[in-house]
Amino acid sequence: MRPILHITWEYPPFVVGTLSKYLSGIIPKIASQYRTVLVVRGDADGVFESHGIKVYKVGSSVHTHPHILAYAHLLNLDLLRGTANALHENGGASIIHSHDWISSIASVYASSYIGCPLFISVYTTEITRSGSLKSVLSLGIFDLERYCFQRAERLFVQDPHMREHLVKDYGVDRSRIVLGSDPSKILETYRGILG
Amino acid sequence: MLSWEYPPHVVGGLGRHVFHLSKTLSSKGVEVQVLTFTDGSSPSEEVIDGVKVVRVNPYSLRYPDFTSWIHGLNLLMVDRALKLRTFDLIHVHDWLTATSGIALKHIMRKPLIATIHSTELGRRGGSLKNEHERHIHEIEWLLSYEAWRVVCCSRYMVGEVSKFLGCPLDKIVQIPNGYAPNSFPPPAPISRREYARDDERIVLYVGRLVYEKGPHLLLEAASKLRRNDLKFIFVGDGSMKPYLVELSSRLGISDKVYFLGHVPDDVLHALYRFATVAIFPSLYEPFGIVALEAMGLGVPIIVSSVGGLDEIVQHGYNGLKFHSGSSSALAEAINKLVDDPGLCRRLSENARGNLALFTWDRAADETIKLYEQVIGEYQSGSWKPGV
Repeated sequence: MRPILHITWEYPPFVVGTLSKYLSGIIPKIASQYRTVLVVRGDADGVFESHGIKVYKVGSSVHTHPHILAYAHLLNLDLLRGTANALHENGGASIIHSHDWISSIASVYASSYIGCPLFISVYTTEITRSGSLKSVLSLGIFDLERYCFQRAERLFVQDPHMREHLVKDYGVDRSRIVLGSDPSKILETYRGILG
Repeated sequence: MLSWEYPPHVVGGLGRHVFHLSKTLSSKGVEVQVLTFTDGSSPSEEVIDGVKVVRVNPYSLRYPDFTSWIHGLNLLMVDRALKLRTFDLIHVHDWLTATSGIALKHIMRKPLIATIHSTELGRRGGSLKNEHERHIHEIEWLLSYEAWRVVCCSRYMVGEVSKFLGCPLDKIVQIPNGYAPNSFPPPAPISRREYARDDERIVLYVGRLVYEKGPHLLLEAASKLRRNDLKFIFVGDGSMKPYLVELSSRLGISDKVYFLGHVPDDVLHALYRFATVAIFPSLYEPFGIVALEAMGLGVPIIVSSVGGLDEIVQHGYNGLKFHSGSSSALAEAINKLVDDPGLCRRLSENARGNLALFTWDRAADETIKLYEQVIGEYQSGSWKPGV
């Protein structure tokens, strides 16, 4: 079977905030059930193994960004380079699963290219981070989040409040939202797709 | 082919370049699809002169600035291109479509060619002043790094891409822009007297009113000339216009200067017919396609010795050149030319003869040769799609 491909901007040893710690708790459990490949922003381009996961790391190609939106686009260009290598070297992917909006553009492109289901885990949104959409920059991030969220077959959220928020503010169909992002819930959802 | 501008949405020379190149390639049997921008006023898909034009509308997303607008446009271009999929090679133009070209290269494992028409460092006069400019410069570097080959329109640009972007010289191919002899409609039926007195000869400037094009140098030269028999007509618009209007007033030459703004091509054609000389005083000019247009319409030209203009014009043969940035040298050249009808005639005749070197037919032939070479190298290599 083709592997599950995860895309994230942080995963140990490349730590930015708390997401990497959280993912290091769940992705090895997924990898024990399904062949798993992971793409992460790292120090340079390369491939290594970690807890049964084949990790493709990508370095930064552009270092100066006027703001987070420009950074996100260029981060995803780098993540896409790693994702493309992961897909072409591992025979594709059966599911592509990205974590948070900031690594979702690469996952939208990759799932569109190979025609496999796209899952996105949503931990925060621009509205929950900023309180409201007060600037054009925030609106730009919001639009990008909405664009990616609407392309996902399934969105994982951790609480009912986030589910309602995605339905109300992002126009996501409630039936596509999975409540719970623990390994058992994720694996159950994978099985529903993969059989 | 990916381009942020394509008719009817044309901002500058890039849009005209892609239009002429794509249709000439198509006429030679190359199947060309152009992926470009629309604001909703042009069809999302149509065929123009054998070229399939597909447009995406970036206004479904909001942006704080032009840089983000370009990133959003590229995002939608990749999305659209992944649905088209029927291409063997990706050809992008400038940083404006760099990220979509690089994304498609990697995800589809297809070869990427980049035409770099100008660089951010060149446009900014050699220094980058803020994070937007540095961001764009780094994207240009990335494009030259990721491209299989980089196309430049002049020797000057080959040097600039090599020096500013660190691109190896053996990756750069020089293909001059073309000149489309029949691209102007017939001249509009307008009277010369709307623009100048009968005893005034017309000195014509055509270009954006921005610092790098040097319109202020022409005003300074006009002030130094102090000739009552010359009228200086500026065609084009830009951020420098209020300053130029104020400068002409300060120099006491307001009555000798006429700022027309943008004019339709038939009016421009008529103005070229009225003009005694056309001036291109750029401080930065990667190629200078507008000088070819003036040459093609039989107007003697004076250009600054910079960039592509320096390569197109041979001083005293098909035009006059002056030291870039020197309004005194420009004034001297204008004086020399307008008082010598024989020189005017000789320069314009030689210029017309020279234009055979700059045709879209030739540019397309060289581009096809490049495409064949790159596809050949790609096919003999191991970097191929695995899915």
